[in-house]
Amino acid sequence: MFKAIIESEKLKETIEAVSSIVDEAKINLTPDGISVKAVDPANVAMITLNLKSAAFEEFTATEGELGVDLNRLNDILGMAEKAEIVEIELDEESHKLVIGMSGLTYKISLLDPASIRKEPKVPQLELPARIVLTGTDLKRAVKAAEKVSDHMGMGIDGEIFYLEAEGDSDRMRLDMTKDQLISLEPGDARSLFSLDYLSDMVKSAGKANEVTIELGKDFPTMIKFQIAGGNGEVNYLLAPRIESD
Amino acid sequence: MGVELGDIFEKHEIQLSDLAGRVVAIDAFNTLYQFLSIIRQRDGTPLMNSRGEVTSHLSGFLYRTTNLVEAGIKPIFVFDGKPPDFKARTLEARSKTRDKAMHRWKEAVAAGEEEEAFVHAQASSHLKEGMVEDAKTLLGFMGIPVVQAPSEGEAQAAYMAQVGDADFAASQDYDSLLFGAPRVLRNLAVTGKRKLPRKNIYIDVNPEIIELEDGLSANGITREQLIDIALLVGTDYNAGIKRVGPKTAMKLIKQHGGIEAVLVEKGEEIENLQVIKDFFLYPDVISDYEISWKSPKESEITDFLCNRHDFSEVRVKGAVGRLVEASDAGQQTLDQWF
Repeated sequence: MFKAIIESEKLKETIEAVSSIVDEAKINLTPDGISVKAVDPANVAMITLNLKSAAFEEFTATEGELGVDLNRLNDILGMAEKAEIVEIELDEESHKLVIGMSGLTYKISLLDPASIRKEPKVPQLELPARIVLTGTDLKRAVKAAEKVSDHMGMGIDGEIFYLEAEGDSDRMRLDMTKDQLISLEPGDARSLFSLDYLSDMVKSAGKANEVTIELGKDFPTMIKFQIAGGNGEVNYLLAPRIESD
Repeated sequence: MGVELGDIFEKHEIQLSDLAGRVVAIDAFNTLYQFLSIIRQRDGTPLMNSRGEVTSHLSGFLYRTTNLVEAGIKPIFVFDGKPPDFKARTLEARSKTRDKAMHRWKEAVAAGEEEEAFVHAQASSHLKEGMVEDAKTLLGFMGIPVVQAPSEGEAQAAYMAQVGDADFAASQDYDSLLFGAPRVLRNLAVTGKRKLPRKNIYIDVNPEIIELEDGLSANGITREQLIDIALLVGTDYNAGIKRVGPKTAMKLIKQHGGIEAVLVEKGEEIENLQVIKDFFLYPDVISDYEISWKSPKESEITDFLCNRHDFSEVRVKGAVGRLVEASDAGQQTLDQWF
């Protein structure tokens, strides 16, 4: 069983964070909250997300899973005002998700969880460098890079965290010193990432007060931030690009 | 070509888009023959350049491979090396069949029988010197990795799928299963609309997956027994026993446990039996190959196809544009860190 009441903004944040990676996802239910683990069809980006029951006004669930069409859900949540309260309940009989908001009731069909791509194994990575910055700063850097290229390098140079992009004719570089960051644990790190993926990720990460980036040398990056006022956590993993001729 | 084991294995139809992000080791010779067979004009005449050299295969490698890359697939083409000595008889027989088909094709064209002509033309497809080199050159310009097998390409592709360097081995032949490929992909190069022979009917062809383990356990046999069944039916390396099809062979092997007992019972012999068995189980493969997808070289592709092989520049540029757009050569995937 599953029944919950939550502020629309928190639910939207949650669904948006997942939908930047996949269109369909399996949402795992436990009495303690909900979680999602998903990898994009190209095997390039992964999300693990946890939303604690404390993020909800009310939350009751038994172990289970819901197969959800995220675009459909996003679309429907678009009907809710910012601070509005949304009620969600699983109708076990029809196996539909009932979503209520100020008088409106939607019944949406769920997907067969078996038809959704299998949950990925999450690799354990030891990444040498750790940078904490504001979501706004990260979003700005990604936007700046998009103007010149389709990929962006992130790395550590001494005590400086830099983000750079190089297109056919133009270049962009942003240096951030330790005092411009929230914190910095330097290490040998420089990797290149696709901006297609990064710009999707910063849609969610950009709203967070603090974003933690873990980096290595030609290694995947981990981008971590909190959602739902600290009662949820998103962890993105993004595979690098290797510079080719 | 290859062993007919279609009845034994269940096939799962999928869409090309389901293969996004997957690495597929493709039997290049098998694909090349498919291109030579299918890519023809209505009366069976293959595509040719102004010097009369066949270019059907190049057309296939450009356009069809581009379709694969556009679907997010990471193809690797695995080329045959030297065929094993005991394949000589099969190769000789095939060459005779082709010569016969070539003759019939010419007759049908002369008689104005277009449908008949096409069928015989398809059967007459044969490799000419230079075709393989041209295909490798083109794939190189396209940034698609090529692996040269020491012996059979299918065996090499199966090995690459076994060790996890590829998610699938792709071939129309069931031999990939005998060589131990855990997951075999069929219809990859011919996905789309295909014309039925002698009929004016077009069918939709989708890729199919065959899982080796599933097939073996569903039938309650081992891979060794599967090889025995294939040997009874006939493989690329032996003729098989008369009047024994896959179902009979399965029954016989299950009844007697192995091929040796079946042959004793039937009073038959298979030449090179142990050698062929070992060849399927422990084929000659290499483990040091380089797999990397590179950015396509636009001007080299255009120059090679348009200037040397008289392809239409407009069409080639269209395909190359799609290829460049789709190939994300440097992007790594997460599974490399699992």
